Amino acid sequence: MSNYTKDYSMPELMAVTVAREIRDGELAFIGVGMPLMAATVAKFTHAPNFNMMVEYGAVGPAPLRLQMCVNCAVNNERAYFAGSQREVMGAQQSGFVDVACISGAQIDKYGNLNSTCIGDYHHPKVRLAGSGGANDLASSASRTVIMMRQDGRNFVNQVDYLTSPGHLGGPGERAKAGLVGGGPAAVVTTMGVYRFDDETREMYLEKIHPGVDLEKLKAAVQWDLAISPDLVLTELPTEEQVMVMRTLDPLAVYLGTGRQTLSGDFEAFMKMFEDSYQPMVQLMRSKGMM
Amino acid sequence: MRFQPIPIQEGIAKPPAYKIMTAKEAITKFVQEDCYLGMTVSAAPASLIWEMVRQRDRIKTLDLVITSQIGMSSVLIGSGLVRKLEMGYNWGGIEGEDKVFRRAVEKGIPRPLEVEEYSNYGAAMRWLAASMNLDSIGTKSQLGSDIVKYNPKIKVIDDPYTGSPVSMVPASRPDVAIIHAARADEIGNVQCLGLYGNTDTLARAAKHVIVSVEEIITSAEIRRMPNLTTIPYYYVDAIVHSPFGAHWRESTYYYHHDLPYGLDVYRQFATQEGYEAWADKYVHGTKDWNEYCQLVGYDRLNRLRLSENKYQKFGEVR
Repeated sequence: MSNYTKDYSMPELMAVTVAREIRDGELAFIGVGMPLMAATVAKFTHAPNFNMMVEYGAVGPAPLRLQMCVNCAVNNERAYFAGSQREVMGAQQSGFVDVACISGAQIDKYGNLNSTCIGDYHHPKVRLAGSGGANDLASSASRTVIMMRQDGRNFVNQVDYLTSPGHLGGPGERAKAGLVGGGPAAVVTTMGVYRFDDETREMYLEKIHPGVDLEKLKAAVQWDLAISPDLVLTELPTEEQVMVMRTLDPLAVYLGTGRQTLSGDFEAFMKMFEDSYQPMVQLMRSKGMM
Repeated sequence: MRFQPIPIQEGIAKPPAYKIMTAKEAITKFVQEDCYLGMTVSAAPASLIWEMVRQRDRIKTLDLVITSQIGMSSVLIGSGLVRKLEMGYNWGGIEGEDKVFRRAVEKGIPRPLEVEEYSNYGAAMRWLAASMNLDSIGTKSQLGSDIVKYNPKIKVIDDPYTGSPVSMVPASRPDVAIIHAARADEIGNVQCLGLYGNTDTLARAAKHVIVSVEEIITSAEIRRMPNLTTIPYYYVDAIVHSPFGAHWRESTYYYHHDLPYGLDVYRQFATQEGYEAWADKYVHGTKDWNEYCQLVGYDRLNRLRLSENKYQKFGEVR
């Protein structure tokens, strides 16, 4: 019954793959960017009763326009709750968050993530953003889904800085450290989908994206990667999933070159809002969401 | 009859007195050299940040404490005012990579920046602790990570009651907090509309609190919906009336984020010379927030307001 499409970009495939990790009725902690696209796809297709929680204090927003940041006014639009960060962070530490989507610049075989620095912490080659909420979600969410680019250098034996805990050093280590959440359940990259072995807690390849060469994928991982005996191709996006993303983000701000288009171009920005209002209203109405 | 302020003895609590002043007056009065400054992210107190940059020759050095900042902290860091940054996250958000932050940490330009790092919740809990007059507080975040390894101020201890590990963070009590909010009355009761992050705890943690607002309203209007009051008057020292006071960022129900402007600013911030050229024109080249808004263009700002109100207006579901 699904109408698969071949008209998709790699970021769109990743967003759809993450969307499929979200189940109907769940509460998910979502960062803005590609995770937001994933959440929107889930909400408008297979998981209408799923709600998102946003880091600066919003629950269940249902906006008709693109969210710009985790503290953005759009997160308030038609939300169930808007208020303090303490509410959403406290709820997630207490176990109310089913799934959280996080990212990083480096990852190791246990799913430990680095989003702080490349090189020595005190004399970094590249300074990055820092934890933000990623460490908090990696610590306490029931499960996390990791979404990141796989560039050949960032699946490493040891991360330069452990910002967000995965399964730390292996089985039992999260509990020993006092972490309450379940840790990473899946890693979605530009090459494939990975999961974690129940016994060893090590990452293995579960799915490979269409058109990706397995040998190249293995070469992009520093450790000896385990591969599922049932390795399959990643499911393609459906026409509807792609339509949802392009309706909400017609200039591909998150999944393409939209930011370059908009830099300094106020009229294009205003037009983006004008043009997406009616299609978003129609989409919401067709799903019985307004 | 207009509210008549009365002289009240100095104490910890700020009096219910007339507190409206200009950004220049408020920054001059409360922000001194070596100030330990706290700043919110939602919404961004841009008009107050700009005024500190204008006064950078007098202020010289700030130690900045934030939870997560998206964009605006780079205006302060690029000015050379910031010696130390206590943070959970500092980046450009949708505007992208924060080159100002990177230059300061990697190369010490325009001055070396010491970073003291927490998770976002860990950073936020520090203001919560101070708001309750506690010296520290615990969280189950940060455990097992290098955040604990590289920040000796975080102490992982066994909970004295259950024995389970907990990471303790020290209270943060800024000398001054700068905050942007929706509206306030003239004695300093502040109402946030929409999500407000850690605005409430920062105001309660700081010794002095400066709040810029979109609108000044009457105390009668405050009393009409007192549950919207995020910060009661006794925490607040100064109210600054700054319409569009979070530009290029957004203010819920008032105006949308000016993304094309923010992206263009971040493009300029790619070099220190680019930062200085932007600051010369938009910060040092304007004497106050009104002049800055004129330079950006009130027509543009009003279109951002209309765009926001097309999607949401306070009290109305669109």
